Parts: sequence; C-alpha cells; structure tokens
Amino acid sequence: MMVVSSTTAGQEAAASGRNAGGNAGDAAFGVLARLAGWSILLVMAGIIIVLVSGGWQAFSTFGPGFITSKAWNPITHNFGAATSIFGTLVTTAVALVFAVPFAFGVAFWLVEMAPPALARVIEMAVQLLAAVPSIIFGMWGFFIVVPFMAHYVEPVATRYLGHVPGIGLLFRGAPYGTGLLTGGLILAIMVTPFICSVMADVFVSIPAVLKESAFGLGETRWEVMRKVVLPWSRQAVMGGIMLGTGRALGETMAVTFVIGNSNRLGWSLFAPGNTIASLIALEFPESSAGSLKLSALLALGAILMVISFITLACSRMFLQRGIKN
Amino acid sequence: MSAQKVQAGATDGWQRGGAQAVRRRIVERLVSVLCCIATVVVLFLLFSILWTLVTRGAAGLSLSTFLHSTAAPGSGGGLANAIVGSCEQTLLAALLGTPIGMLTGVYLSEFSHDGKIVSFVRFVSDMMLSVPSILVGLFVYLMVVEPAGHFSGMAGTLALAILFIPIVVRTTEDMLHLVPRAMREAAYALGAPGWRVIVSICLRAARGGIMTGILLALARISGETAPLLFTSLGNLNWSTNLNAPMASLPVIIYQYAGSAYDDWVQMAWTGALLITVAVLATNIFARWWLSRNGTASS
Amino acid sequence: MNTVLMGNRPAQAQSAPAIAIRNLDFWYGENHALRGISLDFPTRQVTGMIGPSGCGKSTLLRILNRMYDLYPGQRAMGEVLFDGRNILSPGIDVNVLRSRIGMVFQKPTPFPMSIYDNIAFGVRLHERLSRAEMDQRVENVLRRVALWGEVKDRLNASAAALSGGQQQRLCIARTIATRPEIILLDEPTSALDPISTARIEELLDELKQEFSIAIVTHNLQQAARCADRVAFFYMGELVEVDTADKMFTAPHEKRTQDYITGRFG
Repeated sequence: MMVVSSTTAGQEAAASGRNAGGNAGDAAFGVLARLAGWSILLVMAGIIIVLVSGGWQAFSTFGPGFITSKAWNPITHNFGAATSIFGTLVTTAVALVFAVPFAFGVAFWLVEMAPPALARVIEMAVQLLAAVPSIIFGMWGFFIVVPFMAHYVEPVATRYLGHVPGIGLLFRGAPYGTGLLTGGLILAIMVTPFICSVMADVFVSIPAVLKESAFGLGETRWEVMRKVVLPWSRQAVMGGIMLGTGRALGETMAVTFVIGNSNRLGWSLFAPGNTIASLIALEFPESSAGSLKLSALLALGAILMVISFITLACSRMFLQRGIKN
Repeated sequence: MSAQKVQAGATDGWQRGGAQAVRRRIVERLVSVLCCIATVVVLFLLFSILWTLVTRGAAGLSLSTFLHSTAAPGSGGGLANAIVGSCEQTLLAALLGTPIGMLTGVYLSEFSHDGKIVSFVRFVSDMMLSVPSILVGLFVYLMVVEPAGHFSGMAGTLALAILFIPIVVRTTEDMLHLVPRAMREAAYALGAPGWRVIVSICLRAARGGIMTGILLALARISGETAPLLFTSLGNLNWSTNLNAPMASLPVIIYQYAGSAYDDWVQMAWTGALLITVAVLATNIFARWWLSRNGTASS
Repeated sequence: MNTVLMGNRPAQAQSAPAIAIRNLDFWYGENHALRGISLDFPTRQVTGMIGPSGCGKSTLLRILNRMYDLYPGQRAMGEVLFDGRNILSPGIDVNVLRSRIGMVFQKPTPFPMSIYDNIAFGVRLHERLSRAEMDQRVENVLRRVALWGEVKDRLNASAAALSGGQQQRLCIARTIATRPEIILLDEPTSALDPISTARIEELLDELKQEFSIAIVTHNLQQAARCADRVAFFYMGELVEVDTADKMFTAPHEKRTQDYITGRFG
C-alpha cells in the first residue's frame, strides 16, 4: 500500500511551486517571488538600522535626557527631542479633534443620507482630496490659511476663548497665523479623507439584518448609527482613526510650511513650533555629515519611526479585531 | 364626514410618543444638518484648494513653462527641467518598483504555505506603507548619497521606489485574493504549473485592479517632496543625468514658494497647478478605468 | 448485466478499467472524508457518482487528478491505478497527470482571455503546435462541443461574454483539447438552465465514444440518463455500484433505496 501524505511529498511539491516533477519554471518563479518578498524585509531592516545607528551618537551623548530635553542649540551642540515630539503630538491631536467629527459626518452622510448618484460624486471628491500632494496643502496653507488664521480666527479665538479658565491658556498669544493650531488644521484636512473612507467602508459593511431590525423598531437613522452601527464597528473605526493618526504624525511638507519652525514648548496653540518631520526637513540640509546635529536628527527620525510603528500596530490590531467581529 | 374622521384618526396614530418623539426627531434633524455641513465644508476645502491653484497658477502658465528650464529671479524661465526630472524619477521608480511590488504581492497571496514568514512580510510591507516618507529620504541619503558623495537622480528614484513598492504589494495581493478559487483550479486541472497559473491566469484576471493600483501609486509618488529633498536635491539647470542632482516639480515648488521673489512664487503656483492636475487626472482616469474593466472575473 | 452495454463494449467494461481505486482513504486534516473506497471506472463509459452533500463524491473526483495537492493538510492513502501506475505516489508528474485526466467544474470558469486562447492555453502547456495546427485543434474541439457555429466569428472576443451554457461547453472544449484519456465532471450542469443542461448531456453521450467519463451529480435523473454505471456514496463510504438500470430499479442496499426515493439527501 502506498502512503502519500501532503506533509511530506505534498508539501515539498507545494513549496517548490506544486510541481513534484521538478519544473524549472516553478522553481525559478518561487525564487523570484521569495527574493522580492524578502527584499521588503531587508529595506525595512535597513531603514531601522540606519536610523538607530545614525542616531546612536546623539542617544549616547545625551542619554535618556535626549527625549526630555527642550534644547536645540547647534552652536553649543546641545540637542533635545522634547519640543519636536511635543509639536508632533500636539499637531496630531489637533488634527484628530477636527478630522474625526468631520470624517464621521461625511461618512454618515455618504452611507445613510446621500442620494446614490450624489454620493458617488462626493466619494470621488473625498478621494481626490486624499490624493492632493502634501506640498500643495502646505503651499495653500501658507498663502491662504495662515493669513486667514492671523486676521480672523486667532484674534476672535483669543477674545472669546482666551479668558475661559483652563482652556483659555491654549488660545492666548500673538496671532502669527503660523503655529501648532494651523499645522494641526492643515493635517486635519489631509487626514479627514483617509478616516472618512475607512469609516464609510465599515458602515457599509455592517450586515443589513442588524440595521433593518433596528429600523424595524422605529429607530431614527441617528439612533441606529449610535446604538447599532457604531458599537458594531467601533474597533474598525478606531483602526481607521489610527491610520489617519499615522499619516498625521509623519507628514512633512504640509506642516513645514505653516508650523513656524520655532523651538519652543508652551501652552499656546497659536505659537510657532516644530514637529519631528518638519525639523528634519528644515535642519537636515544645514547639518554636516558626521556632526552631532545630524545624529540628533537621525535619532529624532528613529523616535518618529517608533511612534508611527506603535500607531500602525494599534491600527492593525483594531482593524483585524473589527473585521473578525 | 367619515373620511375626515378617518383622516383625523390617522393623524393621531402618526403622532405617537408625544414630547419624546419630538425630541428624537429634533436630534435626528440636527445630526442630519451637521453631517450635511461637514460634507459641505470638506467639499468647500477641496474646491478652495483647486480654485486657489487655478487662479494663481494659470497666470504663470505659458509655452515657456514647458520649454525653458528654471532661471534666476527676474529672468523668466520655465519648469521644463523640473517636469522632465519629475517624470524621469517617477517613471523609473515605477519601473523599478512594479516588478518587485507585484512579485511580493504574489508571494503574499500565493505562497502562504511558506508559513509565518509570509504574514511577517505582509506586516512589514504594511509598515512600509505608513513609514513617514521623509524617513525614507533620510535612509536613501545615508545609504546612497553619503557613500557616493553627491546627490543624484538615482537616489531620488530609489527613495520614490521604496514608497511605491508597498502600495503595489497591497493592491496586487488584494486583487489576487479576488480571483475565484475555481479559476485557479480550472487552470491547474489543465496541467498548468503553478507559475503559469499565477502569471497567465491570476495576474491576468487581476490586471485591471493591479493597473489601477499602479496608476494610483504613480500619482502618489509623483507628488512626494520630502523623500527627494535629501536625495535628488533639485537642480536649477536642465539635466537628465541620473548620476547628478535632478530637479523635480515638488522640490521646485518647495524652494520657490518660500522664496522672496514674486516671479518665483508665481512659478511655484504654476508648478503646483501642473502637479495637482496631473495627479488628480491620473486618479480620475485610474478609477474610471477600474470601474470599466477592473472586475477580477472578466 | 445490461444487455445493451454488453452489446456495445463488453470487453472493455470488464477487462481493463481506465482507473482502478483500491482501498482509498482521504483526510481533510483530521476529518476522515473517504473510507476504504474501491471502485473501477470502466474505459469509455460514463460512471456517475451520486449521494447526499458531503458524502465524499466530489472529494473522490478531486483525488483522481490530485487537485487536493493544492491544499495543505489534505492527504490520501491507498491506490489509484491509472495506466499502470499509482497516481498517488510522489513520483507522478501532476501536470502531466492533469493533462491526461481532465476536469470540468461546477461553475463555468472561462479564463480572462479570448475564446481562442481559452482553448489554446491548455494545449500550449503540453504541445508545440504550429499556428495552423492550433487553429485546426481549436476548430475541432469547438465543433465537438457544438460551439463552433456560435463563436466562429468571434474567436478573439472575450470568453466572459458567452452565456453560462456556452461557457461550460467552452470549458469542456478546453478540457478535451489537451487530449485527455479521462474527463472528470463535477456537477457540470448544476449552474445551468435546463436547455443548456440537455445539450451538455447530449455532448457527454458523444464524448464517451472517445473518453472515459466520471461525473458527479446531484441530479438523479441526470445520472439515470447519462451514466452507464452509478456509484452511490454515503458518509464517506461507497455503498454500492452497479449499472444505472439496476441502481435505479433494484438497488441492493436500503440506504441506496432511501436516497433514490428521496428519503434523505
């Protein structure tokens, strides 16, 4: 009696491209596909190694204090990451505060309220907004949004919100137009389409039975959204938000134009600041090879990498759990 | 009379719940209005961007934009070197990235029997998809530019290719998953070796979607600025030499928009208009094309 | 014995079966899907396989061309003799095997290419033909499946544009174009309308002049109409096998009787 188990012959055959007869084409194709796949690992490993080893000089010079130090002084060779990490997190937070409600509103409208023909057009517009190169957002932000912020939004905000206890601190300061708030707003416009399309996809994919049974009880669209759709899709929505967060954290050009580039750390959202990406873009050309400054920039890059890696891991976790539901 | 009565009865029946129902209807109405406002605001922003680009960019648009290279402030010139540089780097990056990206997509989709390493490659590829593009620029700077001792178009191409590949990986894998299992089995049943099934049947069935993905990726990298800043640097003169610094539209826009010269700022707007039109047109075309012949089964 | 069959080809039915299965067991992972199957597929006859869903009839069909190889965790044990060799043995070139034992699936699966290329694809895998020879082959098989008249003016059009019945006949044409000795059909008409089904059944009748055919079907009438011999499977076992006549008029086993009279299934 012959015994053939796929764990021996079968799987070997599968591994070589499923041809036990030793087909050269399959073998070659298998090698090519694996090489390509593994080259991705190589590049990623390369990026991590290069950033960490490049930043090592800064890490070892300043120790863990590098992360908490507010200094950035090329003359005294004293560098710290605190302000740019702060700026990165604040602009991203501002972006999310604005992007999430807008993305939700548009997604809700697209899925539940829009006439199908109009929905297709709007969906296209949202996708186009996502496709606009980031430098365009930066330029548009610099020439259109910054003056608008300086002349209208910031003075008004200071007048009405500046004296509110607590949050008032956020809205004081000279209305330059550039700064953390403007940077965050531009980022919000950039990530809204991403979050919106994930949300719309998730809202569409909810089983019709769930929604119909709620509508059958006489619930309104908003009640169905709040009590059925959102609880059901919570995880995937979070995943989409994290995806947008990742983009906001690493965005360079749009922020560089409007952030004001100043190494300061304070409460006011109107004050100019820094993000990791914008600092690298602005300072890198002025740092010579092998210098401590270059190393500090690479160390910042490594930190940004870690932050966006954590965000991505969260987003994947949420999305996968959301899909399993 | 009786008809009126029925009418009245019906109206009563339609108004159950009293005050609570009124409140629910108000909330529903409010949410609808807010959602509409959100949509209108997002649309308004898109149109504001486009409007700004058209009104400010079109003013500087002329034949010499396409015929002349960038020049010193006040002496005219055009964007020819930047346009050609952008095209050269983008297309080469796509040429370099497409085979690697497609093969990796095939690896993820068809070689799952390789075990855990496949999901690891998938994870890393997704990670690369969201790596801040400026870090890719740093990486290529340290790997290519610094050892070579000079900036080059090749380095820019490499940086763009690294951004391009994971997008193609994702679409290729997604599109291959849409190819029905029955179609693969039918090809195997004819005695086709695995690679023929993948190349002649699966990739062919998925070609509409993969082409769309490639076009979208092309549009995406053609607007990238950050990875080019430290790699191809930019070049104010005409150059198609991959071994020398090379101009590109996004970098020119970045340099000119922040300058103090009005004609350079004007040039930046014109460049911004060109790149945006190109990117959006590619997007629209790709999506239209997908909707026409992108289904996996045809 | 069925006298008609005896009259037709008595020798082949008895002497050398196209495929002989001996003591075949099959597992999907832990699930023991087929147990101790022994069955002959007579040369140039239609063998029908019937039984309720999940009884293992399709599984058996997919063993005969080693389709299960594509999926890790599936394994077969026993002997399937074809042309003097056990096709389950590791030394078998599955690609050659599959070109000699063709398969047609439940749903029509036209490849994303022209009608002509759908047929040429399989042929090119195994033979090098000149353009003229290939044209000839394509026309020949399309005529055999009675599709030539309908498609001869649009051979370069996409196969996806054909109707379901036409697509399934194209799939049969594609299969016979590689000149197999045996054709396996896995519920080939279950996705088709009655008229297309009738045409495919007629076609089977013709094809058995040249090929040995194994057909899995849910449709008992179809088995009665098309098959010379019918095998009834239940819960992974071969309950009985006999000529179609006997099977549907005087089955030996109670389970067979229950199934063909519609008591389960």
